[in-house]
Amino acid sequence: MASTEITGPAGTVAPARTEPRTTGRRRSPSGTKRENRLSGHGWPGLLFLAPFLVMYLLFIVGPAVYGLVMSFFHTSMVSPGLGEFAGFGNYAEALSSSDFWSALWQTIWFTILTTPPLIALALVFALLAERARRARWFFRLAFFLPYILPSAVVALIWIWMYTPELGLLSRAVTSLGFAEPDWLGDPDFAMVSLAITTVWWTLGFNFVLYLAGLQEIPRELYEASSIDGAGPWQQIRLITVPLLARTTSLVVVLQVIASLKVFDQMYIMTQGGPNYATRSLLQYVFDVGFTDFRSGAAAAASTLFFVVVLAVSAFWLVMTRRQEPEL
Amino acid sequence: MTGPPLPRSAFTRRDLLKATLLGAVTTAGCSSVGAGLLNTPPGAGTVSYWNLFGGGDGVRMLQMEDGYRKANPHIELRSITLAWGNPYYTKLALATVGDRPPDVAASHLTRMKTLVRANLLQELNPEDLERHGMTADKFAPRAWEAGLVDGKIYAIPIDTHPFVLFYNTKICEQAGLLDAEGNLRPIEGPDAFQDALSKVKQVTGRDGATHAVTSPSSAPWRIFQTLYSQLGGEVLADDGTRIVLDDAKAKQVLDYLRVLTVDKGLMPASVDYQGSIALFASGAAGFHLNGEWEISTFQTAKLPFSMTLVPNIFGGPYAVQADSHTLVLPVRPDQDRAALDRALGFVRSMLDQSLTWAQGGHVPTWQPVATSAAYRELTPQSQYASAAASAVYDPAGWYSGSGSNFETIVGSAVGAVVTGEMSSVDAIAQMRSQLAVLAATASPV
Amino acid sequence: MAITTHKDLQPLTSTQAQRYAASADRRMRLFNRCCTGVLIAFALLWLVPLAWALDTALKPNGETIDPTWVIENPTLASFRALLAQGDILNWYAASFITSSLAAAGTVITASLAAYALSRMRFRFRLLAFWFILIGIMIPRQVLIVPQFRELGSVDLLNTYWAVILPSIPTAIAVFVFKQFFDGIPKDLDEAARIDGAGFFHTYRRIVMPLARPAVSAVAIFSFVWAWNDLLWPLLALTNPQIMTIPVGLATVQGTYGIRYADTMASAVLGALPLVLVFLLFQRRIVEGIAGTGLKG
Repeated sequence: MASTEITGPAGTVAPARTEPRTTGRRRSPSGTKRENRLSGHGWPGLLFLAPFLVMYLLFIVGPAVYGLVMSFFHTSMVSPGLGEFAGFGNYAEALSSSDFWSALWQTIWFTILTTPPLIALALVFALLAERARRARWFFRLAFFLPYILPSAVVALIWIWMYTPELGLLSRAVTSLGFAEPDWLGDPDFAMVSLAITTVWWTLGFNFVLYLAGLQEIPRELYEASSIDGAGPWQQIRLITVPLLARTTSLVVVLQVIASLKVFDQMYIMTQGGPNYATRSLLQYVFDVGFTDFRSGAAAAASTLFFVVVLAVSAFWLVMTRRQEPEL
Repeated sequence: MTGPPLPRSAFTRRDLLKATLLGAVTTAGCSSVGAGLLNTPPGAGTVSYWNLFGGGDGVRMLQMEDGYRKANPHIELRSITLAWGNPYYTKLALATVGDRPPDVAASHLTRMKTLVRANLLQELNPEDLERHGMTADKFAPRAWEAGLVDGKIYAIPIDTHPFVLFYNTKICEQAGLLDAEGNLRPIEGPDAFQDALSKVKQVTGRDGATHAVTSPSSAPWRIFQTLYSQLGGEVLADDGTRIVLDDAKAKQVLDYLRVLTVDKGLMPASVDYQGSIALFASGAAGFHLNGEWEISTFQTAKLPFSMTLVPNIFGGPYAVQADSHTLVLPVRPDQDRAALDRALGFVRSMLDQSLTWAQGGHVPTWQPVATSAAYRELTPQSQYASAAASAVYDPAGWYSGSGSNFETIVGSAVGAVVTGEMSSVDAIAQMRSQLAVLAATASPV
Repeated sequence: MAITTHKDLQPLTSTQAQRYAASADRRMRLFNRCCTGVLIAFALLWLVPLAWALDTALKPNGETIDPTWVIENPTLASFRALLAQGDILNWYAASFITSSLAAAGTVITASLAAYALSRMRFRFRLLAFWFILIGIMIPRQVLIVPQFRELGSVDLLNTYWAVILPSIPTAIAVFVFKQFFDGIPKDLDEAARIDGAGFFHTYRRIVMPLARPAVSAVAIFSFVWAWNDLLWPLLALTNPQIMTIPVGLATVQGTYGIRYADTMASAVLGALPLVLVFLLFQRRIVEGIAGTGLKG
């Protein structure tokens, strides 16, 4: 029955990044006896950690290290062993290959196409939802439900939406008097189509993050400003958006990293085509490693991909560290 | 604000989850769950078969599978169709490496060789094949020999599918290109073909012929390979480690294609696969160059059309780009004699139903059907059957084969010339530099 | 505050203030109503693809080429055909088994580890902490090539385990639990410990029951991620009988010709379990995201 008493920790919408500095204040106020009991001999702690650590070593750290090693060899998917030593050959190949750079560019292009609308629309929808007194569950359903659907389901639905002449979008566009674009078949337009699908699919996540951020803004600020005669537009501009800066920076980094990892939509909807116009970095890794059987080269490309993601995270970390004191 | 947790509802939810989980497991039956949890091999007495046939081919393959099921009621046939192209071969390779391949799989002849080099396919013993009546002399020699790797058998070719010339009989008649029997009069040489296209263009008022240019980017490879081979040219040698592109011959082909498209406007310069079909089907063009498999599309469209060999433009020994569908047996850890016989029995059944398959345009390799009266009476399919004997397959190399990087590189360069984006000299340079990277890359198999 | 500078702050008489507030209130209410209207329009727009999929799935195959919302002859034929064919039931089983076991594994291992990090003192604790923190940085997608070899070498490819095992160690889940445990007053479990309860007993009987919100957040998210994962299961599961729903839908082309109704029926069936999960756990999911910023 204890569970009802813990609304405190459950209810507070604590940001994910509370500093992991609990280690610093673990000195217990009570006597040495308890201190001893808590510290024990060390082995129970390791025992509790063990199941996670074993799995972690086997399936995350181990493969990561093995992948790094493989990236220096001409490893083949279909023969055992690491194969011939390649030195930095795989890296040199990837970095000098136009396919790699074009895949990187396609990935960045996808990120550019998806990130701004995913953030702006999510913010706008959350602001609107804040003002709506009723039907909140309906908004959550409409915007968030797509997010938890499998990519394969989303892709099937949107392939059907994009089907030339028969699809719903085709009809909508032509009835408005426009010429119908070849949604997935035109190399210049396919990525835009994938971006539209992605915005529809994943907007709900950012929407919910913004809703949570909005909950944290004290009501009194609005009330005070209202009495001061501030209109709704001023409230949004001068209170809401600035106070959402933290949420926004979190949304941006999560969104950029998620967009860089794009694979599913392309794999199912366009298979990287037409003419490789929608081949993302992960699709490139997939093609090199599993279609061409070149595991070593794919591992090198994976490592380069990791570096890109790491650079984005590091950039964000530095930026937020710099921002923090000003908030 | 977020509310307090509701312990009571959590319990009912948990119960509900348990119930659904249990339900899912029991309804799905034990075999798949057993395979998933314990890695148990599929039950004896089954044949699993993977293919990549969509469209009309897919429908006919289903008919043939039903034919097999009727003839072998005691054997369970598990057939599955996967997405065409690279993803299919990737899946097949992964499944074989993961020790759970299908008993029989379809593969393009030109892709099969890389699978062999990767040790993913079983070598087929002539004695085993003979047990099921499959001997070399019963197959079309060109396809059979093209399928051998180091003289060994790894694949049973079921057809040859050459690049062909579709023509609209109504339009060509108006253009005066048909003989008394309503067949296309032979066209030979670059000028004759150009002349025929101009005549057709005068009738249609739009295009002479269409072929796929922009997408898939490998598409223009087929027309290039056909014309280039008629000049006797080759692209790769020594299993793809050496580029032997003959620049002069390649330039001759590219310049000719450019004249037809950019200079004279006899063929649309920028059109994708679907578009090239749609233009021909709508009567905007009198000729269409494509693989014979599109026959079903035009039959469904009720188009007045026929098919024949792609003209011999450059006058050398006749040559035409082609590939073959083959059936292969992936390497599996648990292969035994009974399973082998079941698999070969299935292969034989497919060959016996070659006439059904041939309706889709493919030239049967199985001689008992290919030489039968029934096939000869099948028109227009039998009119280009001789192309099979002059079939030119993609060159050997780990990056070559149907839908491969090789076809994409050459096809993209050819496409760029046809659309007028690039000069033939630049296109050849681009081909060379991109192929050089792959040729220099150590083969992963 | 920046806002106050924009309005002159001359003291108002009380009636003036009331009138002013009343009109501002009316303005605000009108504005809010407009907001609701606009958002409802967007929400409806957002539901169109789902509604269209359902609409198509309920038509006979032959009538799908005429794109209209009206279903002249509603039928469940497509659903019946899919279920009769059987593959999708196998895929359901695969998805349920792999996702549930992955979620259970994640909750157990991550909460144990987090308990140790939050409540126990031992050597290498800080080291372990940072070691796990690094794991958050590694995108799982970069591991597919080595993981494929690893699981192939122990003959686990084409089993559910190939999908379950690698998705168990989730570094972010450890931090979600640790953060939650850190927020539970230490007096509670320390009291129990003084009464002689062992670490495991405290974990099991005191901390975990208190941490139910964290448990459900981690469990639901691990489940949904595992259910929706495509890239890795696509590589690991090539036997069509044991594919998960997304892999099956993405690879197997069961239908020929114009069968849009069948395709949409399979999409609807593939979506159904997650729609259920969503409806049941809507608030938990939203809280989970809001509280932790969990993202796949």
